[in-house]
Amino acid sequence: MRFADAHRAPLWHHVSHGARGWCLGLTLSLAACAGGDAAPPTVVDTPSGPPADPSVEWFTDEAQASGIDFIHVNGAAGQFYYPEILPPGVALFDMDNDGDLDVYLVQGHPLGTPNANPELRGRLYRNDLEVRPDGSRSLRFVDVTAQSGIEAVAYGLGVAAGDVDNDGFVDLYLMHLGGNQLYRNRGGGRFVDITATSGTANQPGFAVSAAFLDYDRDGALDLYVGNNVNYRGLDKESICPNPAGARDYCPPQIYGGIRDRLYHNEGDGRFTDVSATALVGLRPAPALGVSTADFDGDGWIDIYVADDGADNLLWMNQRNGTFRESALTSGAAITAEGKAEASMGVDAGDYDNDGDEDLVMTELTSQGFNLFVNDGAARFRDQGAVSGLGPASMPYTGWGTAWFDYDNDGWLDTFSANGTIITLEGHDRAAFPYDQTRLLFRNLGNGRFEDVTARAGASFALSESGRGAAFGDVDNDGDVDILVGNDAGRARLLINHVGNRQHWLGLRLVGGPGDRDQLGARVGVTRSDGTVLWRRVRADGSYASASDPRVLVGLGGTNAVSAVDVWWPDGGREHWPTVPVDTWTTLQKGSAK
Amino acid sequence: MRGTRAAAGAVALTAVLLAACSSPAPAPAPAIQAAPLPDIAKLVPSVQKQITVQHEYLKARLTDPTTTPTDRSNAFGELAKLFMAAQLPEAAEAGFRTAQSLNPDDYRWPYYLAHIARTQGDLPKAAGLFEEVLRRRPDDMDALVWLGDVNLAVGRPESAAPSFARALTLDPNSVSARYGAGRAALATGDYRKAVALLEEVLRLNPKATAAHYPLSQAHAALGNQEQSAEHLRLRRDGRIAPRDTLMVELDSLLESPQTFESIGIRRLDDEDWTGAAEQFRKGLALAPDNAALHHRLATALNLMGDEKSSRAEFEIAITKDPEYFPAQFSLGVLLQADGRHAQAVDRFTAALRVRPTYTEARLRLASSLRRLGRLNEALDEYSQAMAGAPERSEARIGYVMVLTKLRRYRDARETLNEAAAAGDLVFTHALARLLATAPDASVRDGRRSLALIQQMLEKGRTLELGETYAMTLAELGQFREAQSLQRDLIAAADRAKLPALRRRLVERLALYDRADPCRTPWTDDEMP
Repeated sequence: MRFADAHRAPLWHHVSHGARGWCLGLTLSLAACAGGDAAPPTVVDTPSGPPADPSVEWFTDEAQASGIDFIHVNGAAGQFYYPEILPPGVALFDMDNDGDLDVYLVQGHPLGTPNANPELRGRLYRNDLEVRPDGSRSLRFVDVTAQSGIEAVAYGLGVAAGDVDNDGFVDLYLMHLGGNQLYRNRGGGRFVDITATSGTANQPGFAVSAAFLDYDRDGALDLYVGNNVNYRGLDKESICPNPAGARDYCPPQIYGGIRDRLYHNEGDGRFTDVSATALVGLRPAPALGVSTADFDGDGWIDIYVADDGADNLLWMNQRNGTFRESALTSGAAITAEGKAEASMGVDAGDYDNDGDEDLVMTELTSQGFNLFVNDGAARFRDQGAVSGLGPASMPYTGWGTAWFDYDNDGWLDTFSANGTIITLEGHDRAAFPYDQTRLLFRNLGNGRFEDVTARAGASFALSESGRGAAFGDVDNDGDVDILVGNDAGRARLLINHVGNRQHWLGLRLVGGPGDRDQLGARVGVTRSDGTVLWRRVRADGSYASASDPRVLVGLGGTNAVSAVDVWWPDGGREHWPTVPVDTWTTLQKGSAK
Repeated sequence: MRGTRAAAGAVALTAVLLAACSSPAPAPAPAIQAAPLPDIAKLVPSVQKQITVQHEYLKARLTDPTTTPTDRSNAFGELAKLFMAAQLPEAAEAGFRTAQSLNPDDYRWPYYLAHIARTQGDLPKAAGLFEEVLRRRPDDMDALVWLGDVNLAVGRPESAAPSFARALTLDPNSVSARYGAGRAALATGDYRKAVALLEEVLRLNPKATAAHYPLSQAHAALGNQEQSAEHLRLRRDGRIAPRDTLMVELDSLLESPQTFESIGIRRLDDEDWTGAAEQFRKGLALAPDNAALHHRLATALNLMGDEKSSRAEFEIAITKDPEYFPAQFSLGVLLQADGRHAQAVDRFTAALRVRPTYTEARLRLASSLRRLGRLNEALDEYSQAMAGAPERSEARIGYVMVLTKLRRYRDARETLNEAAAAGDLVFTHALARLLATAPDASVRDGRRSLALIQQMLEKGRTLELGETYAMTLAELGQFREAQSLQRDLIAAADRAKLPALRRRLVERLALYDRADPCRTPWTDDEMP
């Protein structure tokens, strides 16, 4: 008998304890995890919703009209290479600090042969938004890839954005098959590849999502990279037939897992892989979406990772440079039924306006999207079923998603870009037969959601293989627009036409040496009726994508705010007694009166 | 179903109801036709043949005026079952709808339709169809459980509970019904009831480990934190589903390598090794180069006790596909068991080349390397296993044992000190053993060893802990007590029929009889 098995041996004096008896177990505090016992969400007003004007489409696709004439190429040609099923990510970020959101789109190319087409590369579009004195505006995007210095010719998967050197210009982290790239934004729309010097290639690795966060409060953005599978190369691709022998894409479990990475920003252009010491108990898992937020309200940013077919991860910041994985004990790893589902996209946000960060996740067809409701101490209850979000989303395989208030009623709604991973019957003559329509859910303010897709406009009736989605006010008109990346399809820019019919507050929260966006900052907006809405500065979440870090707060029935409180990611707090509404305002750290 | 359905295009098989004329005169009975087959070109030839044969049969039934509506219904339904099994849900749905129209009393068609709706995520439709089944067969256990399950999934536990309750009145031992009832109780906040039901699930079937998670939640809600933690720890992924005769039959319908493999795996789960081997052989008849099937067959043969054939099949598997790492690993295990460690190392290395995170292979590799005397390489593998799977105590224990083989007793002690501090008593025990027996006197500390053992004895006693206790007593010069304890342990080993352990205990007793302390922390047979 081996020593390590000794505690499973027959017992001396016949006292049974066995291996399990030796384990001390975990100290749990799951009082609110079991479902059904928590108070219903606080309802502070009745959402009014967008105006019932049938002549107005809530969202229209303005991509081509505005100059984004981009079609993603995944190269699928019947070989079922796993990377083909995952992209593309998309990004909304202000590359030139001119106050409007520019666009980066991830591109692929035929796999199995070198990329022979120089046009097939990640594309950068500059936003030349024109706002006229009467408030009317026109969107125009210009492809500036060629002069940007970005050479993203590898097979692209995802993108993340953050100012890693505190120079005030947002940098780009591009996730590719075969190695990632970190591009430093030098200003003026010029980028330089600093992957080698920064040490962020993530090799070996295979990532589609990443997040920038300052987890140790040293003022520099660190980088969490969610790795998906141990992909060993196209020549070692697996074959996964269905029961009738028809081949399709393999699930991630076929390839085995690979560990995520946490890179610490040393502040001098170098990043150090601190995964082994900072992520205690890190195990290989098929990561897809990454969202960072302060889930337990201790002022330190935590990390949530959506895993595909495995327990999701919740890395709780221990405030000493390390994290403790506690998703299972927090009720955020699996569904109420106890199943690990195929989580794809994820976002954290205060959907019930009770002051803490709740989680929404997109899932595989027949699983339904998850809604994990936070009790404020990072203990979660799965409310996917009772919220209506789960049942209504079950026919869909969801990817890019976010909490965002599309109608500015003060309640965070949600969206998903959808597309299957299994060939759809009857679609198999299509080039890429995995298309589904998008979904838009309206938050009713009572813990439930209404599927309003049918009313959202013709762009929501398009059936496409949606993947990445980025959210932001592209035309600076006071409501959140959506950039969608379609696998083997055209990029869509869904412009919101109804949100700004209600009052709103637009904030950019900056600080530090370069006045960079303070990712992770929380902002509490006290409306004129005394209710407080908590929102967060974030560019991460969703799937493979980067969103507008600015905070757009729908004010619902109120038309003014009586205070704005900011909790900065370094622990500092500031109070602004008044901020103008219906316009964008920059709050600079340390400038509150 | 906006997405999939709107763009789904042509339905593959449908019944076309052709009205012979449009006048108000009495309409003749509608003619029913079989629509063309859907595109089945991508399916394996054996399945294509099954489908075309059934399609021809259906057409023959439709043209035969003597065929009854029930026969026609069956012909449509059987073809639809093939479509459903082949993952052509829309063609299947059309077929079942026609079958149902021809024989509305047959509960099978709405049952299959319900499952199609369920897997496509249309739960309200699935619920309606399961209710339709129950109107025809009120005591259908499978439909009752699935209806409850669907209602739970749409957030209606109060509607789910009666279905599960009814199922339990029909079969009080139904694990799936009880599991559903427990989850419904949990969802409605009746935590005590949930605990009672879910604990009963585990009593009825301890393999139903998926029940641990909701049970953990129910305990947590009741404030039973210890029980909650324990059930959370025991939770595993898995399904608890009704027996579902119709679906099991459907899942076995296709003559494809994948289906035979699935059936074979189910046979393995049922410990029917011969039946499993038969299925895998059927699969191999269709796909002789399928490494996975060779591997599965080898596993079944091994379990049947046919080691020679088993090994041959494993070897074929890796010949067919050297990248098929499970076969590399399995062959390595067989070689290791035969003491052929050099060959085993090759197999484990091959497995790890494909799947570097395969901890079990790495532990086995380390073990074979140690037995080959390649201690530094073994140490490196254990080290990698520790990093990759910190929860696997065997990795750290193996690492420590190799350190002792390398006479690095201080390093071994420090490793165990650190590991024991985290609270895992396996390491505390190993530390006590090392402190009692290390040949390096500067590492030994009999008094600390005794203190550690006394702590552990409060939690429980194993033969191995007793063995370490005796070693500690000997280290402290208390040979008489060590002898007495060792004799008790030998008697206990006899009772437990553990001859290898007995032999070791006897050898160590001889030391104590000579008033010699033990200076071998672990013998080779104690090492992983």
